[in-house]
Amino acid sequence: MTEDSQRNFRSVYYEKVGFRGVEEKKSLEILLKDDRLDIEKLCTFSQRFPLPSMYRALVWKVLLGILPPHHESHAQVMMYRKEQYSDVLHALRVVRFVSDATPQVEVYLRMYQLESGKLPRSPSFPREPEDEVFLAIAKAMEEMVEDSVDCYWIIRCFVNQLNSKYRDSLPQLPKAFEQYLNLEDSRLLSHLKTCSAVSKLPYDLWFKRCFAGCLPESSLQRVWDKVVSGSCKILVFVAVEILLTFKIKVMALNSAEKITKFLENIPQDSSDAIVSKAIDLWHKHCGTPVHSA
Amino acid sequence: MAQQANIGDLLSMLDSPVLSVRDDVTAVFKENLTSDRGPVLVNTLVDYYLETSSQPVLHILTTLQEPHDKHLLDKMNEYVGKAASRLSTLSLLGHVIRLQPSWKHKLSQAPLLPSLLKCLKTDTDVLVLTTGVLVLITMLPMIPQSGKQHLHDFFDIFGRLSSWCLKKPGHVTEVYLVHLHASVYALFHRLYGMYPCNFVSFLRSHYSMKENLETFEEVVKPMMEHVRIHPELVTGSKDHELDPRRWRRLETHDVVIECAKISLDPTEASYEDGYSVSHQISARFPHRSADVTASPHVDTQNSYGSATSTPHSISRLTLSNTPGQLPQTLSSPPTRLLTEPPQATLWSPSMVCGMTTPPTSPGNVPPDLSHPYSKVFGTTGGKGTPLGTPATSPPPAPLCHSDEYVHISLPQATTTPAKKEERTDSARPWLHRQHHLPNDRGPEELPGSKGSVTLSDLPGFLGDLASEEDSIEKDKEEAAISKELSEITTADAELLVPRGGFDSPFYRDSLPGCPRKTHSAASGPQGTSANPEPLNSSLDKLGPDTPKQAFTPIDLPCGGSEEGPVGNRGRQASLETSILTPSPCKIPPPRGAGFGSGQPPPYDHLFEVALPKTAHHFVSKKTEELLKKAKGNAEEDSWPSTSPVEVLDRLIQQGADAHSKELNKLSLPSKSVDWTHFGGSPPSDEIRTLRNQLLLLHNQLLYERFKRQQHAVRNRRLLRKVIKAAALEEHNAAMKDQLKLQEKDIQIWKVSLQKEQARYSQLQEQRDTVVTQLHSQIRQLQHDREEFYNQSQELQTKLEDCRNMIAELRLELKKASSKVCHTELLLSQVSQKLSNSESVQQQMEFLNRQLLVLGEVNELYLEQLQNKHSDTTKEVEMMKAAYRKELEKNRSHVLQQNQRLDTSQKRILELESHLAKKDHLLLEQKKYLEDVKLQARGQLQAAESRYEAQKRITQAFELEILDLYGRLEKDGLLKKLEEEKTEAAEAAEERPDCCNDGCSDSVIGHNEEASGHNGETKPPRPGSTRGSSGSRGGGGSSSSSELSTPEKPPNQRAGPFSSRWETAVGEPSTSIPTTVGSLPSSKSFLGMKARELFRNKSESQCDEDSMTISSLSETLKTELGKDSGVEAKTPLNLDGPYPSPPNPDSVGQLHIMDYNETHHEHS
Repeated sequence: MTEDSQRNFRSVYYEKVGFRGVEEKKSLEILLKDDRLDIEKLCTFSQRFPLPSMYRALVWKVLLGILPPHHESHAQVMMYRKEQYSDVLHALRVVRFVSDATPQVEVYLRMYQLESGKLPRSPSFPREPEDEVFLAIAKAMEEMVEDSVDCYWIIRCFVNQLNSKYRDSLPQLPKAFEQYLNLEDSRLLSHLKTCSAVSKLPYDLWFKRCFAGCLPESSLQRVWDKVVSGSCKILVFVAVEILLTFKIKVMALNSAEKITKFLENIPQDSSDAIVSKAIDLWHKHCGTPVHSA
Repeated sequence: MAQQANIGDLLSMLDSPVLSVRDDVTAVFKENLTSDRGPVLVNTLVDYYLETSSQPVLHILTTLQEPHDKHLLDKMNEYVGKAASRLSTLSLLGHVIRLQPSWKHKLSQAPLLPSLLKCLKTDTDVLVLTTGVLVLITMLPMIPQSGKQHLHDFFDIFGRLSSWCLKKPGHVTEVYLVHLHASVYALFHRLYGMYPCNFVSFLRSHYSMKENLETFEEVVKPMMEHVRIHPELVTGSKDHELDPRRWRRLETHDVVIECAKISLDPTEASYEDGYSVSHQISARFPHRSADVTASPHVDTQNSYGSATSTPHSISRLTLSNTPGQLPQTLSSPPTRLLTEPPQATLWSPSMVCGMTTPPTSPGNVPPDLSHPYSKVFGTTGGKGTPLGTPATSPPPAPLCHSDEYVHISLPQATTTPAKKEERTDSARPWLHRQHHLPNDRGPEELPGSKGSVTLSDLPGFLGDLASEEDSIEKDKEEAAISKELSEITTADAELLVPRGGFDSPFYRDSLPGCPRKTHSAASGPQGTSANPEPLNSSLDKLGPDTPKQAFTPIDLPCGGSEEGPVGNRGRQASLETSILTPSPCKIPPPRGAGFGSGQPPPYDHLFEVALPKTAHHFVSKKTEELLKKAKGNAEEDSWPSTSPVEVLDRLIQQGADAHSKELNKLSLPSKSVDWTHFGGSPPSDEIRTLRNQLLLLHNQLLYERFKRQQHAVRNRRLLRKVIKAAALEEHNAAMKDQLKLQEKDIQIWKVSLQKEQARYSQLQEQRDTVVTQLHSQIRQLQHDREEFYNQSQELQTKLEDCRNMIAELRLELKKASSKVCHTELLLSQVSQKLSNSESVQQQMEFLNRQLLVLGEVNELYLEQLQNKHSDTTKEVEMMKAAYRKELEKNRSHVLQQNQRLDTSQKRILELESHLAKKDHLLLEQKKYLEDVKLQARGQLQAAESRYEAQKRITQAFELEILDLYGRLEKDGLLKKLEEEKTEAAEAAEERPDCCNDGCSDSVIGHNEEASGHNGETKPPRPGSTRGSSGSRGGGGSSSSSELSTPEKPPNQRAGPFSSRWETAVGEPSTSIPTTVGSLPSSKSFLGMKARELFRNKSESQCDEDSMTISSLSETLKTELGKDSGVEAKTPLNLDGPYPSPPNPDSVGQLHIMDYNETHHEHS
């Protein structure tokens, strides 16, 4: 409540009349000013509002546990992280898994593999599907985060989160997707069903890679804000919104292969709108996350 | 050309006697005309007609339709220009026009009209002129708006022809002139009727010239006598007359009737505008006409007139018959009057008889009357009176005056015979009057105007007079011949006898037989079969007649004019009888029909006979031979008053008479008499004249027929009006009946109303009585009621008294009972008191006894007391003093105690506040610690992850190494094993070099683990540079300790250990406790804190005994110190860095709880 009193009392109404994000930056700054950062509040905030890009990396790091809630230890912990990163990198260089010519994304992959003990015997070994997922996410993340150490850590923690926290919920997402699509546009769903395309939709791309490679990074990071802050359901709504947006085209297509192909390569220009609508839809169906405090 | 020939054939076929062929050919022609628009066919037809005057062709031409009218008119125009074909063309034009074709309006624009006018202006042939004028007159109502352009042409023509009549240029036969005159007269009427203002102004300008004056006097002036003033002369103007708008709403027949209206000529005039109008128009005989309309006698007369086309003779006949007929007619009218509304007979007498030509009927009387009138008054005032009358149009004069007038006029006018007639004469009017009286007319008028005769009344008298004159004439005739007045049939004979005197014996002889024979028996056959014979007879008669003409000019016409009627008279008689007594004697109509259309030749012949006489009329008139016979004079005198039409009529009449006579004569000997019988072949000149006359007559006839048709059209309209009026009348009557019925109803209602009122009043009375009765009853009842009321009141007062008494009694009862209760209570109380007092008494007794005993005891004690009273006072005093001192002492003590208590209480409060402070601080500290713990945990986690990473790295390295080893083993030989070992050592050396900063320790640790597998790895470890020192000590003592502290940075750890092991000198006793706090690294936050804590502890260890309140750090320190101290002492006598380091968790186990416990211990 103390933070709230510092905020502009009109902020509540800004949202009602349609101004979004007026006070977000300020309130986020207030949140970040706390000395023991309140993770829960940060989560809620990031679920409710899009994060300002200047704070995104910091918030993500905090939320993903890369940085502790205490400001004092940030420097030290970050140093640790850095050292760890360089150590691992060095080790990989030593074992000649990576060289200077190795693309950064692969370096990240190798590092992750090393850290998770899944480093293959030889760099030439074929990649596993999950490695592909990692690569896709890493590629997207590389665009979002500048610092390589941060980037690696965020990728690592993000993937870890997907593998641990969302391990159970991710397989449920296709079902939820059908359900919400039915609510929004049953005709479209029936069309998809008649084309038997429901099962062939690019779920991997959507839910496992979290749209990495599907949406441009600028839009994607808004989606990932929500994913990072603990809600993987947003993915479902992004998928639903993609279908709704390209409904006419999808309806025009009759074969499952064509639909899948189209959905895998959707045009990028309307992605921002899609994401905005998807977030609205998500808020509509799942309710706006309220500050639990 | 083939077509031309074909047409020629067809034309010839047109005249074929076979009817079907003729029809077919006609159809073909019509078809051709509808299909072909060219002028060729029409031209051919016109040519053919002019050549042959074929009837079918005429029929086709007259029914030509629109597109061909132009060709027809052009063609006719062409022929009119030629003198030879002019006459026939004009007659054709007349035929065409009379049928009123749909394109008649085009005539005004057609070039034919100007050429016709031109022809009329220039031509000298009377035939052509007459025909042309008639055509023009026929055409004028059809194209009234054309007057604007050709008006002056019309007037010029009129002027020319009127002078023509007088001047007679060339060798024009008089007979022709009669025709011409008639047509000019018609033209005069037409022009005056249609364009009065213009025409009058023309007359004024034209006849103001001296050379024309004579014409005016002779020709035009008489004509003017037959017209009244046209209303347009008053209201209209020259321009207005020519305004097309004026004519637009008038149809052709309207125009004709308009013209007829202004005519005073009975033959022309129209009566249709109503009763009064008819009076005005027939101004000469207004009264007469009124009489006529009123009297059934004239009614019948009119009907006769309409039945035949020779009104003159008929009227005469009927009039001559009137005396005889009167009884009959008088007997018949009442019935008719009863059945028919008077107006109907008034308006259209023709309706009664069902005849179709009514307009001529009114005209029957006047000519007839004028004739005898002139005969009678001719010499005296006959001429004057009629001239004066037409202008005025007075209301009908009362009948009663006729008598007086007769009295006045008869002496004035007639000679002795007239006087003689006076008696009968006076009887006639009386008859009329008697007839009128029942009609409710006479009585009213009788007193009104009996006294004097005004000038305005004159015409009325004249009319009356005329009728009387008729009768006078007849009377005269009757007197002269015989006294068989009552016989109707003999009337003819009576008339014939005196005529015979006038006529030549030739005629006289034939007359008696003629009329009866012809009409009663053989008039029909005569009309059809005697066609050629009359001609012969007439021609035959001409021979002897013509010379006579010159010598006895007067006689003949008189005879002729009288003969005509005579001839018809018989027919009339038969007709009369046929109508009056409905016998099936239907002979006259056929005769009439034949007379009108089928028998032009007889007319021709008759004209021939009459011609000299009419010519003689003109001559005699000019020469003013007033010395002729009365009849002749009359004719001459009456010239101005008789219209040319009448003259023509008379001419025809004469002709007819002559013809019939001729016929009779011829019929007597045999039919095979030829011309030679009458004196050889007739002169060609005569034949031509006759033909021409025939033509003229035909034209006239056609013109008259046309007029008749117009009248018929008019009539139909009037008939409609009449029917409507009748219907309205009926309706009116019905309404009246209804009204009467309703009035009756009203009466009935009134009666019933009165009845109802009476009943109502009766009921009222009854009611009143009942009401009064009831009122009295009510009063009685009220009285009763009052009585009852009083009684009840009395009873009620009684009742109340009783009640009061009861209440009082009850009250008393209550009081009594309460008293009883009270007494009972008192009784019980008393009894209780009694028992009480008894017990009290007993006690009292007991107490008294005790008192006694005690009194004794008291006395005893008193005695004792008195004995021991002296030594106790001193002692008491001493004791008192002692007591006081003791009390004071105790008091000061209490004070002291209180003070002490206060201080201690204060102290307690102080301490309590202190405690609270401490508690608060403690809480803060706890919080802080929690925070710190969290922080540390975060860092720890980071470090852990780092460690994990390191572990992974080493694993990777190991894997790599193993891999390499595996390769080496595969490759290597046993001998070279040693070398390879050294190489491996080198390689191992290289590695630490690579990561010498921070990895060495852990690597070593791992190496140790790895060495578990193969002991050969140990040798390189001692060879390691820096980390070996730490690991050496730790490694020997307990590997577990080393293993449990992997996260500590090697530098820090190495520092304390080395100082601990190698040199205890560098760091004195103080260093030992710090080593105890070796748990966190110096770099980390926790470590710094810990160090701080331990430092404080060491300080506090110095003044351990002092009982100062310890801070958090102090307590921590003490606890740690104790723990360490206890544990250190027991196993190794060392300060005890080991117990705490073994598990890094101990840092996390620095519980606040522990602190609390220790704190308690300390306190």
